[in-house]
Amino acid sequence: MARLKLKQWESVIADCDACLKLSPHSMKANYILSQAHLPLHNYQDALDYAVKAHELCVQTGDRSLPNITTQVLRCKKEKWDDQEKRRERQTSELEREVVRMMERERDEALRDATDAGDAGLQDIDAEWTAKIDTVRGIFEKARPKEEQRRVVPDWAIDDISFGFMLDPVITKSGKSYERASILEHLKRNHTDPRDPLTRDPLQISDLRPNLDLKQACAEFLDENGWAADW
Amino acid sequence: MSAQFATKRLGKELEKIHNSLPPGIELVSAENFEEWQLDIRVLDNNPLYMNQTYRLKFRFGSSYPIEPPEVVFVKLPDRAIPMHPHIYSNGIICVDLLAAQGWSPVQNVESVCMSLQSMLTGNTKNERPPGDEEFVRANRLRPRDIDFYYDDNTV
Repeated sequence: MARLKLKQWESVIADCDACLKLSPHSMKANYILSQAHLPLHNYQDALDYAVKAHELCVQTGDRSLPNITTQVLRCKKEKWDDQEKRRERQTSELEREVVRMMERERDEALRDATDAGDAGLQDIDAEWTAKIDTVRGIFEKARPKEEQRRVVPDWAIDDISFGFMLDPVITKSGKSYERASILEHLKRNHTDPRDPLTRDPLQISDLRPNLDLKQACAEFLDENGWAADW
Repeated sequence: MSAQFATKRLGKELEKIHNSLPPGIELVSAENFEEWQLDIRVLDNNPLYMNQTYRLKFRFGSSYPIEPPEVVFVKLPDRAIPMHPHIYSNGIICVDLLAAQGWSPVQNVESVCMSLQSMLTGNTKNERPPGDEEFVRANRLRPRDIDFYYDDNTV
């Protein structure tokens, strides 16, 4: 734990791996592994361990659920950011390459047209400039539109934490909440737990996972990873 | 529950508040995630509150929104404490919604303001709660620690 704070990730990972060999269902080892892999840019590992920790946490009813939920979302967000950065770099490189090739073609055409005269050379130059602009415009259009993507549907948002839902559970009234949030609410009022919306009595055992909504949220997040920390 | 939870949720509430607020509610200050101030006005012609603006102070703990915020009216040179049988003259509000048992985490700053707005709109009694003077003189507790007795649900 101290080494996690000291950022000695490698030795943290070694410790936790050893720990997992001894007790494969240690939520804490999975959670710490996720925290150690994230700064090392092992995004997929970090996410896998966080998801495993979340699953174990739900099974055991451990009170770390809010923190682990946050960790899963953080992993998803960083993984998405990394993919985006790479994709962006690749497309802009491709664009530069294509433009460079076209510029070479243009220079060659200008060199070959030795008998075209000044006016002819200007025509060739203008023609190539127009072509290059067209290609740039096409790349521009292919770029994702930031503002278009920045809308998170209300159905994916938990009304308690206002966060994106990862593991929604449904109450008897038909409304879904993030598991970590609604558990926190019901535990605080454990002597008289009630539905936040209708105020009807509501036990933790009344909650059911909302699998369809969970899948819809996961699919939205796969295409819109930025929403993870919305 | 970590303080991060409260901060994140308040950040989102603030973003929404900056975008739009219902008529008669205005944000005055929200420099941190511990204390915000808002002004509210009653929109109809209730003679008790006509042409008056009232200042509300919200204080958030690290367990918000699992725990309710502490909400009081503040007295300023141009802001009075509204007359109401559930509002003490020191600004403390006795309302089920803001007490531990009446609070719900799906409530938010905007919905609390709207509830208080309609609590004023619907009131016709130009009076303070019973025992106001004594309460204001003797009370040293913070609003959330006071054990209110909700004896009258008609107001």
